[in-house]
Amino acid sequence: MVRRQDLATIAALVGRAKNELIRVPGAAIPGVLAPTIFFLGLNGVFGNLTQLTGFTTDSYASFLVAVSLLQGAGFTGAATGVNLARDIEGGWLDRLLASPAPRWVLLSGMVLSASLRAFIPATAVLLVAFAIGAHWPGLDGLLIAYAMVAATAAIAACYSSALALRYRTQAAAPLMQAGMLALILLTTAYAPLALMQGWLQDIAEVNPMTQVVDAVRQGFVGGITWDGTWPGILALAGMLTILGALSLRGMRRTAA
Amino acid sequence: MSGLAVNLRVIRALGIRSIRQTFRRPQLIAPIVVFPTLLLAIQTGGAGGAVNLPGFPPVQSFLQFMLAGAMMQSLMLAANSGGIALAVDIEMGFTDRLFAAPISRYAVVLGRLAGTAALGVAGALWFLAVGLVFGAEIAGGVPGALVAIALTASAAVAIGGIGSAIALRTGKSSIVQGMFPLIFVILFLSTAFFPENLLVEPARTIAAYNPMSFVVEGIREPIVAGLNGTDVLDATIAVLGIGAFSLLLSARALRHRLRTGG
Amino acid sequence: MPAIVVEGLERAFDDMLAVQGVDLAVDEGEIYGFLGPNGAGKTTTVRMLTTLLLPTGGRAAVAGHDVVKEARAVRASIGVALQEAALDPLMTGRELIRLQATLQGIPTAEGRRRADDLLERVDLVAAADRRIGAYSGGMQRRLDLAAALVHEPRVLFLDEPTTGLDPVSRKTIWEEVRALNDEGTTVFLTTQYLEEADQLADNVGIIDRGRIVAEGTPESLKAEIGNPHVRLALAEGSIAQAEEVCRRIGKLLPPKDARTVLVEVENGSADIPRVVRALDEAGVEVGSLDLVNPTLDDVFVEKTGHHLEREEAADAGQEPAEA
Repeated sequence: MVRRQDLATIAALVGRAKNELIRVPGAAIPGVLAPTIFFLGLNGVFGNLTQLTGFTTDSYASFLVAVSLLQGAGFTGAATGVNLARDIEGGWLDRLLASPAPRWVLLSGMVLSASLRAFIPATAVLLVAFAIGAHWPGLDGLLIAYAMVAATAAIAACYSSALALRYRTQAAAPLMQAGMLALILLTTAYAPLALMQGWLQDIAEVNPMTQVVDAVRQGFVGGITWDGTWPGILALAGMLTILGALSLRGMRRTAA
Repeated sequence: MSGLAVNLRVIRALGIRSIRQTFRRPQLIAPIVVFPTLLLAIQTGGAGGAVNLPGFPPVQSFLQFMLAGAMMQSLMLAANSGGIALAVDIEMGFTDRLFAAPISRYAVVLGRLAGTAALGVAGALWFLAVGLVFGAEIAGGVPGALVAIALTASAAVAIGGIGSAIALRTGKSSIVQGMFPLIFVILFLSTAFFPENLLVEPARTIAAYNPMSFVVEGIREPIVAGLNGTDVLDATIAVLGIGAFSLLLSARALRHRLRTGG
Repeated sequence: MPAIVVEGLERAFDDMLAVQGVDLAVDEGEIYGFLGPNGAGKTTTVRMLTTLLLPTGGRAAVAGHDVVKEARAVRASIGVALQEAALDPLMTGRELIRLQATLQGIPTAEGRRRADDLLERVDLVAAADRRIGAYSGGMQRRLDLAAALVHEPRVLFLDEPTTGLDPVSRKTIWEEVRALNDEGTTVFLTTQYLEEADQLADNVGIIDRGRIVAEGTPESLKAEIGNPHVRLALAEGSIAQAEEVCRRIGKLLPPKDARTVLVEVENGSADIPRVVRALDEAGVEVGSLDLVNPTLDDVFVEKTGHHLEREEAADAGQEPAEA
């Protein structure tokens, strides 16, 4: 049962997390810059792939924007794990663990803050994408995009938190970043499934994040359908359940 | 022992130290090897159909084409890592220990760059091996591979000088680290990942004049076409130009640091 | 009912037993000083009692709750100021205490009121809205202490609260600890400073290499040792001769450094002329001579064969070895 006190604690922890953005000059910039640079860069490099027979749209920016949105969410979530590792090294986590707040409440505060922060790079990427001609996805497409960005950031935060709790050092940061990068890019990131090389096609078919990429993409390259959306929702729910359980287990085992 | 011999020993010792530092801290290896390999795999698998685009240069495979870009990415990240490591040395006070020793001041910087060159060679060897394992051919054979490796190492030193200059001037690893996104901007605005004629504007125009394009084409030519063309020569000139510029910057930054202590 | 009960507490890390069967009891309202050198097992013990580390053997209860089976109830009853100050440099002092209040389940308005009171108590009102990153070491410790008190805990754990502080800041912390104890708070204090244990603690437990080697009031522990000793600082080359002479007068104690001889004297200051005469007759040149009454370090030497204070000097500047 969720008590009012638990919600107050979660809100307090989200409030603390915002300090990183507000009180450290330029702290938000790397998180916004990275996905935006990749979006613009990859669009400039691979933009003419749309000339290939079988490409599902004539606008590479429209095709690519979904991946860049999710990449931004992944970076934000990975940063949560790095921050947690820093808090472990500095003893801050002990302060939280020595309090009577339940472990799931402590974790929820961190994960929720990642979901909310992910809206910043997502908005930056969208503005840039529209500026260079990406199609408008409609309000429903936009809502789906933001919701899935938030969920992806939560997944990334759970994954990177689990690593932080396991290794207890910021040196694990590349593992956090590489893991999310691989998860998001081993999908229909650069081209439709039919145009991908054999091995990557096989991986993308089984990678649950492919469903999420396609669900976010559908509004930008065509129309929104329930059939195009529910696999993404299911994939997110599944990943969040598994990685959430892993990170909660890690949080509960800190005393071991 | 002559002064030159002594300095060479110091440069070698500091170069070995910088290599050890990198391999003892996995978080320094990841950007140089893991990320470029991951991106190589994903881009090759995802955009590999690009070889069928009208105007794509004749290559054995998209992987063969992309190897040079991966090597370029790796060497630029190695150069950035070297700059960050030098800045950390400054922050920790380790460079004071070196400057207080009876060695040439320039040896301190050259030692760091020697380490960067070694990492450039290691990265080049890695990607050539990865390419061979996954079926890419080196058109220029062993001589071609050696030319590609030599260009990679010298480009790493040339670009590493810029990272060192920033480190010496600012003394802050966070600032050098902040250059990280710039590396990708430069790479995307070059022919590292796609042929110039198939880039989208304004990337195409910028790539035509970007010195990094010359460097990457010089690394690419021995792999996809052999040692017949002029791209290697153009790349050598570009590396020399970048190197002269970066070494000048480093020397000025070093003199400034020694004069003012910061 | 004791505030803290520990029976056979153990903690193993891989093949190393950091805490080897610790037994102790702390009464309500007591200040218990847990004294030992770096690496003795103090912090490991505290982390088990504050539920941050699971014991691998034995049991412990804090404020009547088992630290393993009733961990949450323990956390609700204790205040903790750990060795790492565990502060967020981006927060202000006021924000930190308010956050701690929320973590402890205190309603917002009440939490704010308590934060204001505590900031005044630890004399941080002027700095309350400045970022913690700008606080001095002493200010950070006072803030940490204030945060540990926000929920008026029954038991307060202080892990080396004055390590690294200047003497003035240390005295301020001591005064605050005494004041808290006067109000009825039980305090479990770990320290490597003899003077701190001597000054503050009602009872002292001395731990070395994971085991309690002595326990009692500071006075009773020192009285156990009994005799004072004479400390001689000697010129180089005279040590062996001086030891030979002193051995005939009393029991030699392990020296703290290579230029000192320590000899136990049964009759205190009355034995000093005898020592001086004997050394003079033997032609031994003495730099200085002091009569030293038993200290907790002497207790430590008696029980372990080595000095606590020498280990402090040797470890100066090093990071604590314990997690």
